[in-house]
Amino acid sequence: MIAEEPRVDAAKVTELAQSLESELARLIVGQKALVRDTVIALIAGGHVLLEGVPGLGKTVLVRSLGQVLSMSFSRIQFTPDLMPADIVGTNVIGDEAGRREFHYQAGPIFANLVLADEINRATPKTQSALLEAMQERTVTVGTQTRPLPSPFFVLATQNPIELEGTYPLPEAQLDRFFFKVLVPFPGERDLLEIARRTTGESTPQLRAVADAQTVLAAQRVAREVPIAEHVLLYAARLIGATHPDRTELDSVRRYVRWGASPRGLQTVVLAAKVRALLEGRYNVAFDDLSAVAQPALRHRIFLQFEAEADGVTADRLISEILEHTAKEPARA
Amino acid sequence: MAEAPGSAKDMNSLEAIIRELGGAAARARAARYAVHALVAALAWVALVLVIARLTPFEQRALVAAIGIPVVLAIAALAWLIRRPSAAVLMRLADFQLGLKERLSTAWERRTESGPMDAVQRRDALQQAAGARLGTAFPVRVNRGEASLVAVLAIFSLALALLPNPMDQVLAQRQADRLSQERATRAVQNVQKKIADSTKPTPVDPQVQKILQDAAAKIRQADSPRKALESITPAEQKLQQLTDPGTPALNSSAQNLANALSSTAAGRSAAQAISSSPAKGAQSVRDLASQLQNLSPQDRDELAKALAKASQQAQNGQMRDSLSKASASLKSGDTSSAAQGLNDVASQLDSLQQQENTDQAVASAINGLEAARQELASQADRDAKGQGAQATAGASASPGASPGAGASASGSGSGNGNGNGTGNGNGTGTGTGTGTGTGTGSGTGNGGTGGTGGSGSGTGSGSAAQSTERVYVPGQPVPGQSQNDPTPLGPGQDVPLSPYTQVIQAYQQAALDATDQSLIPGSERDLVRQYFSQLGEQSAAGPK
Repeated sequence: MIAEEPRVDAAKVTELAQSLESELARLIVGQKALVRDTVIALIAGGHVLLEGVPGLGKTVLVRSLGQVLSMSFSRIQFTPDLMPADIVGTNVIGDEAGRREFHYQAGPIFANLVLADEINRATPKTQSALLEAMQERTVTVGTQTRPLPSPFFVLATQNPIELEGTYPLPEAQLDRFFFKVLVPFPGERDLLEIARRTTGESTPQLRAVADAQTVLAAQRVAREVPIAEHVLLYAARLIGATHPDRTELDSVRRYVRWGASPRGLQTVVLAAKVRALLEGRYNVAFDDLSAVAQPALRHRIFLQFEAEADGVTADRLISEILEHTAKEPARA
Repeated sequence: MAEAPGSAKDMNSLEAIIRELGGAAARARAARYAVHALVAALAWVALVLVIARLTPFEQRALVAAIGIPVVLAIAALAWLIRRPSAAVLMRLADFQLGLKERLSTAWERRTESGPMDAVQRRDALQQAAGARLGTAFPVRVNRGEASLVAVLAIFSLALALLPNPMDQVLAQRQADRLSQERATRAVQNVQKKIADSTKPTPVDPQVQKILQDAAAKIRQADSPRKALESITPAEQKLQQLTDPGTPALNSSAQNLANALSSTAAGRSAAQAISSSPAKGAQSVRDLASQLQNLSPQDRDELAKALAKASQQAQNGQMRDSLSKASASLKSGDTSSAAQGLNDVASQLDSLQQQENTDQAVASAINGLEAARQELASQADRDAKGQGAQATAGASASPGASPGAGASASGSGSGNGNGNGTGNGNGTGTGTGTGTGTGTGSGTGNGGTGGTGGSGSGTGSGSAAQSTERVYVPGQPVPGQSQNDPTPLGPGQDVPLSPYTQVIQAYQQAALDATDQSLIPGSERDLVRQYFSQLGEQSAAGPK
């Protein structure tokens, strides 16, 4: 009986993911990879940094996710004058039973789903307030620490253009995002479909397919997916290969300043576990690692100036690493 | 508790998969290793055959044949040792069948009982059931390797079937070894003969040592030519064991026998001396003991004979003893005369000893000569095998060779000292006149240190004919001195001289050698007859 229980849970996770994806697909045209990566991060319990030019549906995605998950949703528009208290809340003086007392007024971060729109427009101080909450999943105001609701899922967006007056996220804070997902411009067919769906008389109404408890259960199950030693070794090799002092790739030695952190390895493995479940499998495969390597590592590899000058991106380097890192069966 | 039967069943299924994969992998690897082994074996055979074409390689077939089972054994051993483990089999099956690491994960966690392990195992087994596991390890031969096998096989076959220029060298080596073995055996036979001799001499150990060394050198020599080089020094060492005074003493003894044969008292002693020096010594001692009983006339007659023998004696001690005996007998001092005759008897005993020594030495030299003949014949055959080009080159120069039928007269001078039974070699040169150039060689007869010996040498010139093929090994080629100490290098022919240039010198040397009092006349006639026949043959036409 013990063995049967996870089977049901694993199947449920698969079902949950499929439901989420199909429901979101009703509103989000194309962007399957974006949706898939977002769902993976959600089930893995990580936060996502979405990067794309305005108008590609980032905000729609997060809002839609809030609808289909039947969870509390907050949106915070980051601006230069945004203060930390605007995010985490503050103590305000109130009149209670004739006595003036400080009352804590919770900020918008107290929600299951938080959209941090254009996160790079806020000052580092404000960014730090959010990022600390992301990592600790608690908020400390004054002397009191308050836990954030669970599940807690932040989707931050940033615009790769219009960088004037922005505050790029520092490396240490970037590392706290589980995935960095690039939002591509849709193809022609997708554009037509977007036009049809959004300019008609009515827009599709999404239904809730899961709640917080379901997501939490799915997060627990995902961590139980087994991974074989040689597959885990491959993941470790991938991470090692991103470091210029450990890799055998000339391009990495030349262009990379810092490689991925151990948190990158955790991310890759956990994301691969979720992906295995979404694929209807109960073990991690090499393909799972390869599939999640880009979103999990691209914001954890810090390039030299020379890379920027030569037009070399982290994605390209990760592709090279995936291509050249040997898998165990090939060696055998 | 409900999990246990299921887990056991899963385990059995996983082990069944391992067995099936193991069998398939073993077959696939066996095919691969067999081809590897075939490539290695054929490469080995080709390598051996190529080497055998570059250098003489006697055991090439054996070495090539041994390499094949060795390579196969190594391949089998490697196949056995490098069997993949169950984990590797599972990983490879995952990889080949696209099972997304299901089998390897299930196998690795077969003993785990985590929340999802049982589900994962069942999923893996379900996926494996739908796959053809045997196809994970197909029995496949690499096309490039198969082509290599074909190329190597054709190459090896061609090498094996096409004539190998080294075969001739090998055959020659074999013949050389046999020849050296026969020559060694000839020397060993002489050793045995000397050891078994009923007349041991003091020099026997030295003779045995010389023969033993010579036999060892002959056996160990690289070629018959090299082996031949060891014979002459051995012969010279043997010659040094002989007493150079023996001929003189022998001559004196014969003169004594001749002188005594004309006397009544000494006739029996003369016969005994002629028979053998030992018997002669005993007879002379008997005569000495009977001197007092002789009549004055017999004594006088005996004294004269002794005086005559004394005058003819070439040996100083013998002359003194005979002179003393003769003088004492004339003066009537029989005891002193008896003493003189006893001294003569001692000289005869000494002569007997020396003759025994000489006989042993001569026997040893004969053995060495037999070995020389054997080796020279083989060296001659070797030279013929190698000399085809040299002959052709010589005939390409018409000015150097006289026309057929041209004759040249040569004059030669021989040098040699010796007497008695000594053997010596002399050299002579002859210069042809007329249309050809002749070379002459003379052979002297003599021993070392001979005094008063006469050497004779004859030289004869003969026209070298372009078609002449008969050579005598051991003679210097024109332009090379016989005593040239320069050793022959590899590939150089043994020194050869045309047969016609040396036959007369050989004849003269043989006649000189037989011109010994100890050799019966009938034997000398045989030698003369032999060389006469040879001379007729050489005059009749080219050999």
